[in-house]
Amino acid sequence: MFLGRVVGEVWATRKAADLTGHRLLVVQALDERREPGAKKVTPVVAADPLGADVGEHVIVAFGKAARVAALGADGDFAFEAAIVGIVDDFDVPGAPADWRLADVRAWRGVRGGLGKGDSGKGGPGTILT
Amino acid sequence: MMIGTVVGHVWATKKDPTLQGLRFLVVQPFTLGGETAETIVAVDPLGAGIGERVLVVFGRAARHMIGRGQDIGFQTAVSAIIDKMELEDGRMIGPTAGEDSKGAREAKARS
Repeated sequence: MFLGRVVGEVWATRKAADLTGHRLLVVQALDERREPGAKKVTPVVAADPLGADVGEHVIVAFGKAARVAALGADGDFAFEAAIVGIVDDFDVPGAPADWRLADVRAWRGVRGGLGKGDSGKGGPGTILT
Repeated sequence: MMIGTVVGHVWATKKDPTLQGLRFLVVQPFTLGGETAETIVAVDPLGAGIGERVLVVFGRAARHMIGRGQDIGFQTAVSAIIDKMELEDGRMIGPTAGEDSKGAREAKARS
């Protein structure tokens, strides 16, 4: 599991049947750029059962944990990463400046929001100001 | 799961018997800054072509995609062929590098 930031969304028509109906978000681990020149820069694609928005910080789980979180049970499904929490706040002394929580609403105002209409915002997990 | 670009095919005659008849791709992982990441080998049940962007899954999900049960000697597979990826910095990543937005191509050129 890791703490990451949603940086984008992916769409695919030709895909495994059991990926249908799942929103797929691109998540960059916050720790990846902690050290200058860090090599691990490949973002993770995670199923999003919670309705996270681009710019939000999330907790991503892998494997069985991801399938249980997204579908309620483990089984033969064509994904192994899922968002299991939307971060309200965190306290990591010494964290780099780019760990800061983005003002997601401001971003939405500018871009209109990638997940417009399907994220059900306003409940738990709404970003702090 | 991760996104990558199909950069080639691999063939192997001598291999684990559970892998007979599978198609193997060499996939270059997508990186946000355009850095070059280590390539991986993935089984392709969907028929992706060279240059296409794909979603790659690992472990049980990959073996499920391969469709031969969980007792096989592989752990990576293509689960989707990407149509589009939109990033928060405004970059639009297409199904192939040639269809990326201008900003995306510039980021690649800088790297």
